[in-house]
Amino acid sequence: MSQRVDPTLAREIEKFGKGTWNECFHCGNCTAVCPLTEQGFLFPRKGYRAIQMGLKDTIEKSVEPWLCYYCGDCSTTCPRNANPGETMMTLRRYLTSVYDWTGLAKKIYTSKLFEIAAIIVLALVVLVLYVSNTFYPSGEGSWIGDDGGVLINNIAPWKTIHIGDWAMAALLAFLLITNIFNMWMKIIIKDKSLKVPFYAYFTEIFSLAWNFFTQHKINKCDNSKTYWLLHLYLMLSYVVLFTMIVFFLEWFQTDTIHPVWHPQRLLGYIATIGLFTGIFYFINNRLKKSRENSKYSHYTDWTFLTLLFLTTLTGILLHFFRIYGMPVATYITYLIHLMVLVPMLMIEVPFSKWSHLAYRPFAIYFANVKKSALKRQGKL
Amino acid sequence: MEEKKHTGIYFYNPEGLSETVDFSEVATYVSNNSDISVVWNYNDISLSDHSKLVNKIKEKKLQRIIIAGNMPGMVKSFFTKAMVAAGNKPGDLFLASFREYGAIRHTDTERAKAIMACAIQGVSFDTGATTEETSLNPDTLVIGGGIAGIQASLEIADAGQKVYLVEKSGTIGGHMAMFDKTFPTLDCAACILTPKMVEIGQHPNIKLMTYCEVKGVSGTSGNYKVRILKKARRVNLATCIGCGSCSEKCPGIAESEFDAATSLRKAIYIPFPQAVPNKYLIDAESCTYVKNGKCGTCVKICPVPDCINLDEKDEEVDINVGNIIVATGFKIFDATRAEQFGYGKFPNVLTSLEFERLVNAAGPTGGNITFRSEDKKGRKIFKGDSDIPKSVAIIHCIGSRDENYNKYCSKVCCMYSLKLAHLVVEKIPDANVSEYFIDMRAFGKGYEEFYERIKHEGVHMIRGRTAKIEQSGKQLLLRSEDIIGGNLLEEKVDMVILAVGLEPREDSAKLADMLGIERTEDGWFMEANNASNPVNTFTGGVSIAGVCQGPKDIPDTVAQASAAASRVLQSIVKGKINKSIKDLSLSQIESKVKKLTLTEEKI
Repeated sequence: MSQRVDPTLAREIEKFGKGTWNECFHCGNCTAVCPLTEQGFLFPRKGYRAIQMGLKDTIEKSVEPWLCYYCGDCSTTCPRNANPGETMMTLRRYLTSVYDWTGLAKKIYTSKLFEIAAIIVLALVVLVLYVSNTFYPSGEGSWIGDDGGVLINNIAPWKTIHIGDWAMAALLAFLLITNIFNMWMKIIIKDKSLKVPFYAYFTEIFSLAWNFFTQHKINKCDNSKTYWLLHLYLMLSYVVLFTMIVFFLEWFQTDTIHPVWHPQRLLGYIATIGLFTGIFYFINNRLKKSRENSKYSHYTDWTFLTLLFLTTLTGILLHFFRIYGMPVATYITYLIHLMVLVPMLMIEVPFSKWSHLAYRPFAIYFANVKKSALKRQGKL
Repeated sequence: MEEKKHTGIYFYNPEGLSETVDFSEVATYVSNNSDISVVWNYNDISLSDHSKLVNKIKEKKLQRIIIAGNMPGMVKSFFTKAMVAAGNKPGDLFLASFREYGAIRHTDTERAKAIMACAIQGVSFDTGATTEETSLNPDTLVIGGGIAGIQASLEIADAGQKVYLVEKSGTIGGHMAMFDKTFPTLDCAACILTPKMVEIGQHPNIKLMTYCEVKGVSGTSGNYKVRILKKARRVNLATCIGCGSCSEKCPGIAESEFDAATSLRKAIYIPFPQAVPNKYLIDAESCTYVKNGKCGTCVKICPVPDCINLDEKDEEVDINVGNIIVATGFKIFDATRAEQFGYGKFPNVLTSLEFERLVNAAGPTGGNITFRSEDKKGRKIFKGDSDIPKSVAIIHCIGSRDENYNKYCSKVCCMYSLKLAHLVVEKIPDANVSEYFIDMRAFGKGYEEFYERIKHEGVHMIRGRTAKIEQSGKQLLLRSEDIIGGNLLEEKVDMVILAVGLEPREDSAKLADMLGIERTEDGWFMEANNASNPVNTFTGGVSIAGVCQGPKDIPDTVAQASAAASRVLQSIVKGKINKSIKDLSLSQIESKVKKLTLTEEKI
């Protein structure tokens, strides 16, 4: 199948991160050293070729950048210092913008100003909604319960918050699902040479969940145990808190103070520790540039870590202000918490860094589907 | 007098060079010159949009621009466009390359200023910075007894002039003596080299000084006094009859340098049977007597009285020469540095030099390609009766074309790898041989044909660098990307040959300092001008030949050695030699170019 060369492609992709593909002289070292590449899914070198040649279609339909967990072996051994690992990262950002039909991902990834403006606008929307739908803890009304804790549901009733939660969750789900649909179209459907047997979608579905919850493939990379553990802990903590807030807020946001070993508090603490540990680990890595994958930080990497840190911090502060009976502090912290949390979720999950929580497992799923199709066609 | 042209200077200094001259100091120097209207630094001009430059040229009414710095030719077309657009002639551009004329490092800033002084007057550095002639001593010193040194010495000696040939090791011959065959003709290397070596040994005009090193150089162009360290050989060169009975009983053992450590030799040894001089010597490091003060077995056995003197001390002698040819060659890349290939860890990963010895009929195995084994004491050597490999992979570019080690192409590895592949097929006809390369560089006369020939012999040519080697049972597992076929390759082979690149010798910096010659960033000695003056240096009377100037194969080395000899003979025949350009001070060069331009104007 012939395709038209797009001479502007390299310049376009360069906007999404570090671009050193011109250094590459195609020795194949990166592919050969990669613990994750396999027959039929060769990377990173082939990606370089496609960028250099301006093969936009090839890039758009490639699933390979998502199969890379960025151990950095390719970058450290590259004879040209062409940084294949970081190029894969740049390609993931680019692909995020390719899948995103709204065009916002591209704006966020290529304009610092736009990203900051988007955060501020969303925070202001939250501010208005919060102030108009909650009750400031002053004057008449009961704010402190019998056990000395703040009656948080009198300030921000969980039912009200839940409406906002659900609206946001529905919007996120809609955006993610449509983007994943786009991804599926690009990777599987538009590849006319691929004849996917329908059953493959079912036989491979297990790999989707398995990779989402374990991220075990990263262990094929050397020296990645700590990274994998802390990343997994961070991610599971996030999933736990997200689930409790969006689906079980009534159980999570209570007026009574449960004992410490109560699952509500215990889970909350364990998850908070998970978030903090992960955040500090990643921030430390990026500051010290200690791993190959933390040497080059895009500004979106920092916004993500900053927003996540602020969300976690205000979340745990909110909890303590509530149990120590400080209604005004509770009110304000809750507001700040939402003003950080909502922009973080609305920007990071569908359009930016955090979208990999969906794209990566789905990419592995699609790659497996593709693999079974290729095997059936005798091409593998 | 003609009115001076309005001149602008642009300093081009692209990133990525580890060392440069002090650009700001050079900029200050040229700004003090009243002929210069404007000086731009690297970042002052956007090299993507020439219309801005056109405006700048018009604004300053520039009639001439000097692009100075490192590789200024890279931006010449950009400036030409702008100059023409601004109404000037394309010829109103002048290039002043720093590196081309030896201004490489921070310490070369004065040279850069001199280059600018010439450029401002509209002449190139080599036209401006000329030196006076002086009388010379007709004797020549050649440093290094490899093929380059041998060739240069013979050329000069055959012309009837005296040559001192100084060689560090116990014999002349260098790396070429270690090789089995030469490419692309597959001639026997020794058959070409050994007659020349013998000629050196017998030549009345050549004073051969083996096991000697240059210690210090003083004097100036045409009249150098060179201090030579004569390392204690402990065997009398004049009386040793080369019988070898001393070596038989000697208890001291070391790895053979000549066999690239694939075999062992005694402490009293002859480097190889065809060594010139064909006399024994004692290696102090492995000699039991030198180490413990007790032994003396060789003295007892030696049939010649007073031939061996175990207490001989190093000596220093001074010689006077007019010219010096540096032909010190190279060392091979240390393959243990590239850990991913497992050299030193897996016994059957060999360097190409080890394999040259292995496949050589005069080598440790008598020319049989065998696995590395151990002797009784556990020392790793090759034996002729060990098992033979059935599959061999040759991996190119080890330590070359790699930012982690050496950026440059070592130039000879592709071709010698093809030669080694041929030798494997010749000796083990059913062997499976593969070459893993990045690019196949078959650039010379008959080389492409040689490549085709080896392909037709059934050697697998795989475009793709092997990334790592692991042990897999008794075999070695190679992982590569087959770039042309679009496959991930995993191949198991019995033996791997690493095509190691060439590197400057460890002592090249010391020697360069002694002689006052420049080295490139990679450490190779630098010629006065790459295109027009390729064997002279900026130090008068010092020429360079062979790989010490940069990687090259034997034909090129021999050609360059002859060229260096011709430069030396030129001065001897003339009876005069130019003084060193590097001794010219900035003010001398300034006044020289002024005079030069004044004469031109008079005409």
